[in-house]
Amino acid sequence: MIATVALVALSLPVRPAAGQDAARRTADGKPDLNGIWQALNTANWDIQDHSAGPGPVAALGATGAVPPGQGVVEGDEIPYLPAAAKKKQENFANRFTADPEIKCYLPGVPRATYLPQPFQVIQGAKSILIAYQYAGAVRTIPLEDPGPSPAPSWMGWSVGHWEGNTLVVDVTGLNDQTWFDRAGNFHSDALHVVERYTPSSPDILMYEATIEDPKVFTRPWKISMPLYRRVEKNAQLLEFKCVEFSEEVIYGHLRKKASK
Amino acid sequence: MSRLAGPLVALAIASGVALLAPVPLAGQAPPSAKTGTPSRTPDGQPDLQGIWTNATLTPLERPAELAGREFYTEQELAEIEKRAQEKPRSPESAGTVAHYDFAQYGLDPNQAKRASNRRTSLIVDPPDGKIPPLTPEGRKRAAERAEARKRSGPFDGPETRPLGERCIWMAGEGPPMLPEAYNANIQIQQGPGYVAILQEEIHDVRIIPLDGRPHVGRKIRLWMGDPRGRWEGNTLVVDTTNFTDRTNFRGSSENLHVIERFTRTAEDTILYEFTVEDPATWARSWKAELPMVKTQGPIFEYACHEGNYGMANILRGARAQEQAAEEAAKAKK
Repeated sequence: MIATVALVALSLPVRPAAGQDAARRTADGKPDLNGIWQALNTANWDIQDHSAGPGPVAALGATGAVPPGQGVVEGDEIPYLPAAAKKKQENFANRFTADPEIKCYLPGVPRATYLPQPFQVIQGAKSILIAYQYAGAVRTIPLEDPGPSPAPSWMGWSVGHWEGNTLVVDVTGLNDQTWFDRAGNFHSDALHVVERYTPSSPDILMYEATIEDPKVFTRPWKISMPLYRRVEKNAQLLEFKCVEFSEEVIYGHLRKKASK
Repeated sequence: MSRLAGPLVALAIASGVALLAPVPLAGQAPPSAKTGTPSRTPDGQPDLQGIWTNATLTPLERPAELAGREFYTEQELAEIEKRAQEKPRSPESAGTVAHYDFAQYGLDPNQAKRASNRRTSLIVDPPDGKIPPLTPEGRKRAAERAEARKRSGPFDGPETRPLGERCIWMAGEGPPMLPEAYNANIQIQQGPGYVAILQEEIHDVRIIPLDGRPHVGRKIRLWMGDPRGRWEGNTLVVDTTNFTDRTNFRGSSENLHVIERFTRTAEDTILYEFTVEDPATWARSWKAELPMVKTQGPIFEYACHEGNYGMANILRGARAQEQAAEEAAKAKK
């Protein structure tokens, strides 16, 4: 009997250390981040505390309004340099026209994570791919250093490694065109993001991102939030190819005028 | 990066820069004996992972002068490859004024790797290497689409431009996946229960579930369709339906049905086969095949829409021409 129990125990996959068994494990013994995930908060409207507010289009009434939410920024304070704080105020004033999301531009990191749409992790042994429903955005996270970013890009240049139960992703090479939210929180091309994905139960990933940008902030700061597994049996990403929804905003002024 | 791309209506290329320049022509795969059985992912799937290219010199349909011939001779193929090397590498050499250096932007197909293919057409069935003729319904649809296009000028607004120029969908994205003119790079990633296929243009990921679930409901239509996969031995079979009627693959309807087969035939080669069915468009199904060969990564972001200065400039140019014509007409009066 004892021998049988021992055999069964031996044939089990590698078990995580005590207190860390919240994670499913992949066949090669890594924390299993595979799945379709989604944030359930209002960070995309404003990563800081905010009350409900009207939307930009009166005709949409309540359906276009901004939902209230508690912030995801540690201490609710973003340490802007003085000039940057002023720029943030300008962005906020112009947010209904200047937010890059309006133009269906790639969202950047970390904003891609908490857009109100799902994303999917496809985890291989050597690299991890994250596909986002919004705009078909995608990142490949190699687990071996691919060297420095060759050029700035919208979704940046990622490299990952495991720290115990946590996937740590270092992101550089981000351009200065994306915002953190619809409230005008922004960064420069010196942005450096360190993300941490830690399973806290089979269906919850704790997400943390440390934001560093010496051109815009006085010190590094941090956001955190849970990400929830989409547990529907038929869950899958669909297409949100939003280019055609943004063409009027971008090119409308260049249309041929109706002939007189 | 995307800002490097200048306006060039003739090319109508949006933007995006591949990291192809340093790709050596030799295979990147580590030397290993061909075992016949591909290696496996940790969860036991045959391993198709890596960065691949489907670039080829073989056209989809067999050229008329090669009727009745399925393969080039080795000598003919060598000649074709030599001729491809001699093609003009940038519009400057063809007398265009715009600066659009093919070599600098990785657009010169000769900078990229491609698989050698002795086939004279990618289509293997029907045996004549041609897409079957359209059915009466298919012809009617094609005529209606052509008529609809005539209702507006080609430069009236973004909607009258081709989908690729709008950065919505490149014709080669498919499915079926056919090589783009440049950046014909494909990344395959596998995780438990899924195969994901990322195409450099336009950074779209096809996520293929392998759990046997049914297709999404009929009301959900997708530019790239709804894929479902399964393994038949070492071959990945992907069945895709639920296309939009705007995808319009060679005249197809929204009932287009594509069946693809991916078989790793060597460490550095995947044989890609596809069958296309759409009884509302073609009297019979047709089939093509082409090799995908390993190439060097990583794939860089192809931010097509974000860098689409071409679209704004195309429309601006058309408006300027109209204004000039209007002023010229006024001056005549």
